[in-house]
Amino acid sequence: MAPGNATAQPSTVAVAAQAAASTGRAGGRFTAAGLRRVAGKLGGLLLTLFLASLLVFFSRFLVPGDPVRFLLRGRKPSEEAIAQVTAQFGLDLPPWQQYLNWVAGALHGDFGRSLQYRQDVSTVIGERLPVTLVLVVMAGLGIAIVGLTAGIVAALNRGKVLDRATLIGLTVLSAIPSFVGSIVLISVFAVQLGWFPTFGSGEGFVDTVYHLVLPSTALAIVFVVLVGKVTRTSMVEQLGREHVEVATSRGLKRGTVIRRHVFRNSLGPILTVSGVLVAGLLVASTIVEAAFGLAGIGSLLVQSVDRLDFPVVQAIVMLVVTAFVVVNAIIDILEPVIDPRSAAGDAAR
Amino acid sequence: MTPTRSRHGRRGILLIAGLTAGALALTGCTPEAESPTSAPEWELTAQTDAPSGDIDSFSWVSYGEPYSLDYAYAFDYADNQVLANVCESLLRLNPDYTLTPGLAESFENPTPTTWVYTIRDGVTFHDGTPLTAADVVASMSRHIDPAVGSSWFSVYQNVASIEQTGDREVTVTTTIPDTQFNQGMGGSAGVIESAATLAEKGADYGNSTGLVNCTGPFELTEWQSGESITLTRYDDYWDDSLKAKSGEVRFVFMGDATARVNALKSGDVDGGWMLPVDGIAQLQETSGEVSFGLSTAASNLIVSNLEGPLGDVRVRQALLMALDRDGILEAAAKGYGEVSNALTTESVWGGASDATRDAAFSDLEEYPYDVEAARKLVEEAGATGEKVVIATAPIGNDFTVISQATVAAAQSIGLEAEIKTVTPNAYTALFSDPSAREGVDLFYTVWYLSSPDPLEMYGVLRTGEFSNYGGWSDPEFDAIANEAVGIQDAEARAQKSSELQHIANEQLPWLPLFTGPTTVYQGERITGVAPSIAYLYFPWAATIGAR
Repeated sequence: MAPGNATAQPSTVAVAAQAAASTGRAGGRFTAAGLRRVAGKLGGLLLTLFLASLLVFFSRFLVPGDPVRFLLRGRKPSEEAIAQVTAQFGLDLPPWQQYLNWVAGALHGDFGRSLQYRQDVSTVIGERLPVTLVLVVMAGLGIAIVGLTAGIVAALNRGKVLDRATLIGLTVLSAIPSFVGSIVLISVFAVQLGWFPTFGSGEGFVDTVYHLVLPSTALAIVFVVLVGKVTRTSMVEQLGREHVEVATSRGLKRGTVIRRHVFRNSLGPILTVSGVLVAGLLVASTIVEAAFGLAGIGSLLVQSVDRLDFPVVQAIVMLVVTAFVVVNAIIDILEPVIDPRSAAGDAAR
Repeated sequence: MTPTRSRHGRRGILLIAGLTAGALALTGCTPEAESPTSAPEWELTAQTDAPSGDIDSFSWVSYGEPYSLDYAYAFDYADNQVLANVCESLLRLNPDYTLTPGLAESFENPTPTTWVYTIRDGVTFHDGTPLTAADVVASMSRHIDPAVGSSWFSVYQNVASIEQTGDREVTVTTTIPDTQFNQGMGGSAGVIESAATLAEKGADYGNSTGLVNCTGPFELTEWQSGESITLTRYDDYWDDSLKAKSGEVRFVFMGDATARVNALKSGDVDGGWMLPVDGIAQLQETSGEVSFGLSTAASNLIVSNLEGPLGDVRVRQALLMALDRDGILEAAAKGYGEVSNALTTESVWGGASDATRDAAFSDLEEYPYDVEAARKLVEEAGATGEKVVIATAPIGNDFTVISQATVAAAQSIGLEAEIKTVTPNAYTALFSDPSAREGVDLFYTVWYLSSPDPLEMYGVLRTGEFSNYGGWSDPEFDAIANEAVGIQDAEARAQKSSELQHIANEQLPWLPLFTGPTTVYQGERITGVAPSIAYLYFPWAATIGAR
């Protein structure tokens, strides 16, 4: 995804919407209402991004400290050096002008230069993005597989021992902070058993995946409960619905009923939660990346905040906000495709 | 999380890092050994066992990634421990903290205000081009170019001109007699880079895209941002005595102290400097080797406000007497170190005769722990009930221990005291931004010296100096220090420094706490390092080979 490239987002969303529309049998057809809905969503998305950019950029001025003085790291500067360096980074311009420059640059993928690395922000971030993406994707897959399985198992056995055991297990896992989880995983699987490396992200794809097994596990642990519980609740609700009982009484196989009627109708809430999850994973990745010494976006963000490297902080925050807003917009647009009832208003028959 | 650290002043460095890094409790690893009731045993090693032969490659862990490998900005552990193996200076700062010729085969001081360097012949940069006097002029001139904003400007603050005065000769002219300029030429301030490379790389010089092109035993071949830095042996290196014994060195970065200890224990990484004090015992149980070496660092409390109760020397003395420094050393540094009454370590007094060095450290006021006497001093000064503020930051265990101990000590002698916790970067700002120091009476620092001269420390305490944070002013001290800066004879200069050390010890512009050794770990595969804080400027990795 091109960060901050506003022109790319609508098209991305439109493609997703079209794909969704063409597969959806019930909702999301190219009706005037449907198009209006999508256009409205896109407008909202752009407005959100604009407001976020204002917030992200100008919040910098609330932070005490002069980034250039920080750049000197306590060294005695020469008389003219501070003025010269300030001008080099464009920090001598009025704030609104700095904002316009920043937005103009950002639309071309140019987020200025990092103060700490004295390098283009896009280069600094570009070098670290892959690690975080792989980490979040691996954790996401783990959460989906374990969370959905646990939720479905619990729902189908509701009230029984297996249901309770699953819920308790999930709750216990969710109570482990990522940082503690990381330390325990490292000490058991990396230091004592030696199955996995203790740090770093490896070279090449296979090695990277191998290096990220423990970190993605640590990252996933906290969120599994969320997906598990929502899946269970949603499924239990659907299982109690009339049409499910009707379908069962008509002699449809239980598996078919659960797949077609129960699970599909349960997906709405699960998807909504997944949208929130994206932001959660990106935030939690900062902790896990620090523990495992991964050079990802999360650890870069923490370090850049600490070092007053505003250009990097702004770029990363905008990236995360954009990812979050776009993912949720896609889910919004897809919702009627998956669950016709949400498009047709409350059509619970 | 990598904490910020900073350093300042006219060549003084503040160390926050190592300790920082070292300070996090190592939870979740092997069960903590029972905390020793007595101080751990450790002794200084000048040189570890020589390697049995060359090694293809070894890896090294650092608490943080360099900001920049541009020598003009490299002035921190993270930057310098890498750069020391790649770039060389006019002079060489050896592990025993002596200065010997480096890229300058000789230097002269024909008049009090001129330094003439004869540039070594037969040296090549890593791209194969020969070192010339023009490269020296270009490299040094960057420090006085405001557009560069060099971190090492203070070394050059008295420089009037840098000129090529012969085929292989460069002359630096200063506005006043300045012995400290030449003393700084063993550090980053004296690094020589190819003029052509500087021109070619421009703004990207020294970052992970532009890299560097120097003359050292290792060449900087790869910098994966946030991940690793790889150095490769330079086969045409000029100095046979320091030819690299390893084909490659790979630096990795881990801000988390627990992660670093784990990586060393598991053998994922072969070695590292500045071991977390909590991890030393664990590392000593491995098949690798923990060594303790020379350090120039001293842990001090900087008195940053002389307008308040600490303006009275009796209150400063009382506060030091109320600090249980033995207990603090145990809690903050696990006992690895010694209580100190001076702001320098003996290691920077190499230019002095034994008698002068002994004199510098004898007859110092010792401020033994005595709360009763301290409280009386505060009463005498009429400061009872007045308030002091101690700034600290969530940087490490030592910061927590020392700030809390200082508050308790101040309260025990009748002062009011409170801790002001700021972010790590705001803490860094204390060292460079006067507005950040407003309302702060004391803050903690670990200050190391980059040149083998105690005057580097005491010059900082002259009236009006950038790093004289409390605005302490003593005309007698200033007069001696200014005279010392111009004295060419090291022994005569050291005698003046000894006087300064005694004045500072009586007047306490800063409160000395303790000193500690440089620590280093070499795993079972490697040996050969010289444990010394000179690793910041000396090509320490060149002597490491197979165990």
